[in-house]
Amino acid sequence: MTAAGIDRVFKALADPTRRRVVEALAGGSTVTASALAADLPITRQGVAKHLAALRRAELVQAERVGRETRYRLDGAPLEDAARWIATVGAEWDERLGALERLLDRRR
Amino acid sequence: MADRDERTAEGRLAAVNGLDRTVRREAVLDASSGEVWEALTDERLLGEWLAPEAELDPVPGGVASFRFADGERREGTVLEVEEGRSLAFAWSREDGSASVVSFSLEPAAGGTRLVVVERGPQATMVPAGPEWTRRLRAFVAALSLVAS
Repeated sequence: MTAAGIDRVFKALADPTRRRVVEALAGGSTVTASALAADLPITRQGVAKHLAALRRAELVQAERVGRETRYRLDGAPLEDAARWIATVGAEWDERLGALERLLDRRR
Repeated sequence: MADRDERTAEGRLAAVNGLDRTVRREAVLDASSGEVWEALTDERLLGEWLAPEAELDPVPGGVASFRFADGERREGTVLEVEEGRSLAFAWSREDGSASVVSFSLEPAAGGTRLVVVERGPQATMVPAGPEWTRRLRAFVAALSLVAS
C-alpha cells in the first residue's frame, strides 16, 4: 500500500462513528445502508456519508444485489497493516541474529 | 500474525487494532554495553549486521542512510543520541513511507539488554481492544443524550 493509501485508511478510521460502522460490518455480513442506520444512532444520510468515506479509503466495498446496494468490509487495507508488522518484525529478528553473531565473532 | 483468522469478526477487529504499527524486539547480548554501542554506531560494524552499506553520523540531525542486500535503500536522519544508552533515527522507504527506529541498551545479567522499537505511520485515533469498545459505548451514549 502506498503512503497516501495508508493515510486515507487512518483518516477514515479517525472518526469514531466510522469505526462503529466498521465494527458493525466486522461480522462479515453484507448489509444495506438502511439496516446500518437502524443499528446505529445516526441517520440514513449520515450512514451514506460515512460509507462513502470508507469506500474512498477502500475499507468498504459496495455491491448491487437486485435493487439494493449492499456493503461489506474489505479487510485488505487492514491486513496490510498486519503485514507491515509481520514484515518489519521478521526484518529485526534477522538483523538481531546477525548482530548476535557479529558480537560473538568479536569476542 | 500467521495464526490469526482474517475471516472472523475477531480477526478483522484485531486487524483494525493492528493499525498501530509498532514492532518491538528485545535481546540480551553477550557483550558489554560499550561493544553493543559500537556495533550500533560504527558504520563498518553496521555494515556487518544491519545493511551492507551503512552511513550513520550519530549526532542529532546526522545522516542515517542504508542500502540492504536486496538493493533497497532507506534514507534518514538521526533524531536522538544518548551516548552509550540510546539512539533513534527516522528512515524513509522507497515508497515514501517513513518510520522511526529506536535502540536502547542497559546492562543485564549475562551482558547487555538491547531493545529495538520501530514505529510506522500511526493510527493515533484508533484505540485498541476493550478500550476502543469502552470509548465507543461512551460515544454512543453521549450521542443518544444529544438526540433525546
